[in-house]
Amino acid sequence: MSRVVIIDDEEDIRLVLSEIFDRAGFDVRVASNGDEGLSLIREYGADLVITDIIMPGKDGVQTAYDIRMEFPKTKIIVMSGGGNVAPLDYEPGAITTTAYLASANEIGADMTLTKPFDRHELISAANELIAQKED
Amino acid sequence: MARDLKTISSRMVITVLLIHAVMLPLLSYGMLAVVRNVQEDVFVDSVRIYARVFADILQTNGELPPENEILASLDSSILGGRCIHAALTLGDKLYLSSLMAVTDAENFVEDYEFGEHSDNVYYLSTPLQIGDEVAVLEMGFDELPTLQEIEGARRTIISIMIAYLLVTVLLVVVLSAVLSRPLQRLRHDSRKIASGDYSRQMSTDSDIFEINELSRDLEHMRSTLVGINGRLEAEMASRETAESERRAAETHLRHMHRLQSIGTLAGGVAHEFNNVLLPLLLYTDLALEDLPSDSPVRPHIERVMRLANRAKGLSEQILTFGRRSEDGLKDVADISPVVDEAMSMVRALIPASVGIQTDIRRPVGPLMCDSNEIQQLIVNLCSNAYRAVLKVGGRITIGVASCSVSSEFAAQYVRLDAGEYIRLRVADTGEGMDAATVARIFDPFFTTREVGDGTGLGLSVVHGIVEKHGGEIIVKSELKVGTTVDIYFPESPEAKVIEVEGQ
Repeated sequence: MSRVVIIDDEEDIRLVLSEIFDRAGFDVRVASNGDEGLSLIREYGADLVITDIIMPGKDGVQTAYDIRMEFPKTKIIVMSGGGNVAPLDYEPGAITTTAYLASANEIGADMTLTKPFDRHELISAANELIAQKED
Repeated sequence: MARDLKTISSRMVITVLLIHAVMLPLLSYGMLAVVRNVQEDVFVDSVRIYARVFADILQTNGELPPENEILASLDSSILGGRCIHAALTLGDKLYLSSLMAVTDAENFVEDYEFGEHSDNVYYLSTPLQIGDEVAVLEMGFDELPTLQEIEGARRTIISIMIAYLLVTVLLVVVLSAVLSRPLQRLRHDSRKIASGDYSRQMSTDSDIFEINELSRDLEHMRSTLVGINGRLEAEMASRETAESERRAAETHLRHMHRLQSIGTLAGGVAHEFNNVLLPLLLYTDLALEDLPSDSPVRPHIERVMRLANRAKGLSEQILTFGRRSEDGLKDVADISPVVDEAMSMVRALIPASVGIQTDIRRPVGPLMCDSNEIQQLIVNLCSNAYRAVLKVGGRITIGVASCSVSSEFAAQYVRLDAGEYIRLRVADTGEGMDAATVARIFDPFFTTREVGDGTGLGLSVVHGIVEKHGGEIIVKSELKVGTTVDIYFPESPEAKVIEVEGQ
């Protein structure tokens, strides 16, 4: 059974993604931040990690980087809500999640997804990446 | 009144009157004195000669004629004309003309000057040597005819002087009019210039040297003023244009900042929105998977799914508005096929009854662009144009062409520089918009349509796409006339040519 770790600070997203992967036959574990996710991977191992990019504390890029460094074979999907990260104040230099996703790609994320996405699209991407890992 | 007395005409007339008021009486008095003296001298000389000649007649050969002859002679001297008194005294004997009363002889008072006495008779005595005795011939001559002649001469002189005065005043009035007419014309022209009308050339038809000189000097002054005024007007126009361009650029910059601010805010909202949408969509999907196909709840959940997908579409549009990344741009050699494809989509959306005219100056490019977004932009603009002509009728025109932007034009817009651009124009002859509406058309969710009819995101998406492509949007609209949207995309400096996908 393929092992999946889901890291997102939004509980609803964690729960629904957990349900989806569970139904698809994956061994799913969830974490609400990057450090917690890394602990889970260290404890249980992971074939695939799906991490949100904007999170309090360690962001998704740093989390993906740490995972890549520590577990080079683990596949990583980085997901983002799109838009930018300074919603309530006008900041001309507000960092867009596009920039975050580009950074994630640079440090070695295997795929980026923009929310909202289709569950079949997600499962098929997950299967594909895990298949690549096994090869 | 005071002003009238200060005119050239008045001054000249007054001066002439004053001079003549002094001179004419003096002149008249002088002339009258001369006439009077001449008349008196002539009178006195003539009567003395008359008396002497008469005396000589009486004393022919030193003897007196007989008495009857003396008396006849005395009578004839009176009958001869001007003599009214004739008497001869010889010793105690008095011969008196029978034409005189005896008492008249008592009136004799010898005159030595004309008019010496008030009796209007010039009396003179002439001695005659008769033998050893001396006779005295007393004669009196009427002064009245001479006085009347003098009076007549006085009247004539006064009449001539009055006539002279009148003619002189008349001539002065005419002369002053001749002098003042060109001056009045110059004054009239000067007033025109003072009121800002510099077009009238200053000239006079006077042949008076000073007036001509004045006219030339004023004309020189006018032409100098015209030159200075022209330079001033050009300078003012230039400053006004620069100020107008500066204001337009400032307004545009504020508008851009505002839209960027809204874009940033919208991007943040969309981010949070998507975090909510993802579980909503996925949970709904799971619920639909779990529900039996005949479940009465299923239609409700399916509706929730449709609404969630609609919200997803809205979120994507909001993100398009706020996006400034250049991801997805490719160098396209000729975007006219992209426009063609967009037009086929537009024709499918808009009823055939609405006239759509296209003017594509092929080839159009090269342009760094996202072809899908350019198509979306055209569709969105045409959709708005269609809405504008729907109620009032009209036609839609779409034009695409390469063009050069001048530095003067570019100065009015933040995102334009002088250089080569591709201009996409979507124009309609529909209902048009007022200035307040134009200022807000790119704001997300701003719409003039009825609630529920459109999202208010179409032009926000257009704005996002144009910003992403480094372009500029210029909207000109007038109520009941129509709207023209010009979008300027900078031509790609890259020589590299990439074929449009699918072409």
